[in-house]
Amino acid sequence: MLDETKTGLDAVEGGPQLSEKSTDSSGGKMDDPDGHPSVIALFSQFGDAVSGHRVFAGTQHVVWIDSARNLEILSWLREQQDHQYDMISDITAVDYGAGRPIEVVYQLFSTVHKRALRVRCKLPLDGLEIDSIVELWSAANWLEREVYDLFGVTFRKHPDLRRILMPHDYEEGHPLRKDFPLRGRFSRAEQTRRALDQSVEHSYIAEEMDLGRDPQQATPIIGTKDRDE
Amino acid sequence: MEEGGARMGLKDVLPGGGTSSVTGGMFGDGSPTFLTSKIDWIINWSRRNSLWPMPFGTACCAIEMMASAASNYDLARFGMERMSFSPRQADVLICAGRVPYKLAPVLRRIWDQMPQPKWCVSMGACASSGGVFDVYSMVQGIDTIIPVDVYVPGCPPRPEGLIYGLMMIQEKIREESLSRHFEHRAEDPSSVARPHANDAQVVGLTGPFGNSTQQEELSNKEPGAREEFPEELLP
Repeated sequence: MLDETKTGLDAVEGGPQLSEKSTDSSGGKMDDPDGHPSVIALFSQFGDAVSGHRVFAGTQHVVWIDSARNLEILSWLREQQDHQYDMISDITAVDYGAGRPIEVVYQLFSTVHKRALRVRCKLPLDGLEIDSIVELWSAANWLEREVYDLFGVTFRKHPDLRRILMPHDYEEGHPLRKDFPLRGRFSRAEQTRRALDQSVEHSYIAEEMDLGRDPQQATPIIGTKDRDE
Repeated sequence: MEEGGARMGLKDVLPGGGTSSVTGGMFGDGSPTFLTSKIDWIINWSRRNSLWPMPFGTACCAIEMMASAASNYDLARFGMERMSFSPRQADVLICAGRVPYKLAPVLRRIWDQMPQPKWCVSMGACASSGGVFDVYSMVQGIDTIIPVDVYVPGCPPRPEGLIYGLMMIQEKIREESLSRHFEHRAEDPSSVARPHANDAQVVGLTGPFGNSTQQEELSNKEPGAREEFPEELLP
């Protein structure tokens, strides 16, 4: 029998405990949206598209929205005078495993109103597609590439959707998915051979290689060393 | 051997009274002679006291490597006067930190660009064995990529550890001989940009060291199988 009064190291024998008692997933549970004007406005403006709201860690307001309308809602949050979320702090994703939908997370911040908001979209595993928001925040470009690389979420109308962290010819899948084996799908010998087969120059497009050069002397990369050629 | 040649007067006298038919010249194959052993001493002395390290620092080990080069530990006392940031002018590759697979061809190319004679120090647990990063993205020991002379254990090793490793390189140089130059410096030209170890060696070197994957194998669980995740732990 776990003693409820024990805390800290004294409670170790009781095993891991939930820091917050949560009774339900995001679906129906609504925390009190008071104290965050953007959440109240979202509910009045997009009532049917906002499927949930929770407050974490006291001040972090999280809303779940319809993934089909993410561009419309995020654009509204960015443009409205009362909200003006002009900074995208982060875009990431979470795979909860066991066939549950992958959630794409947008962490917004308004430098005008000094206010933060987290927006989440649920994507079923058989439909990992969502509209790109690069046209709203250009900082989203590499963040969406990272989510694509590690989770396999396709961002529609992204200007340059390529892998960003893993090698460009990585063929083992998307490593942060729950069904991805910890040590990769290929044997270590195969991974080592493939790693040394990659051409370093091919990880970058010509414009990126030119970034570090004198613009006057920038030339397209031709005839760079490739062992097999 | 030609009369008047460089080795005149240095013929190896065999017990039978005859002379050996050693070919291959002063620095070629054959037993070291008086002259080559003295040249060995001079060359080894100059080599081991003027090693220029090529720092390949990727993680926290590099901080310790910088500390060993700074005034408190002062690698310059041992002849590592100058960290050579170009591989063409370097003698020792110090690989300090974890190396992901994406960086493996870079490390291999830097090693291929270094001129002989060259040595390699693998500094710290991650460079030597992958360390705790037994995951999909990490090279499990740089000895699968390039040949390594000295492994310095530690996470990260203290500057004393790195200096001790470099002094072991110096001891290794002391034992080398010009007459066995090609044996010491043997490197297959076709191995350029190829893994240093073959497939069986890679698998042997990178076996799981008691990590979660091994535990899954021990419990007959399929690695990477989807686990039931309690609903109440979801947000």
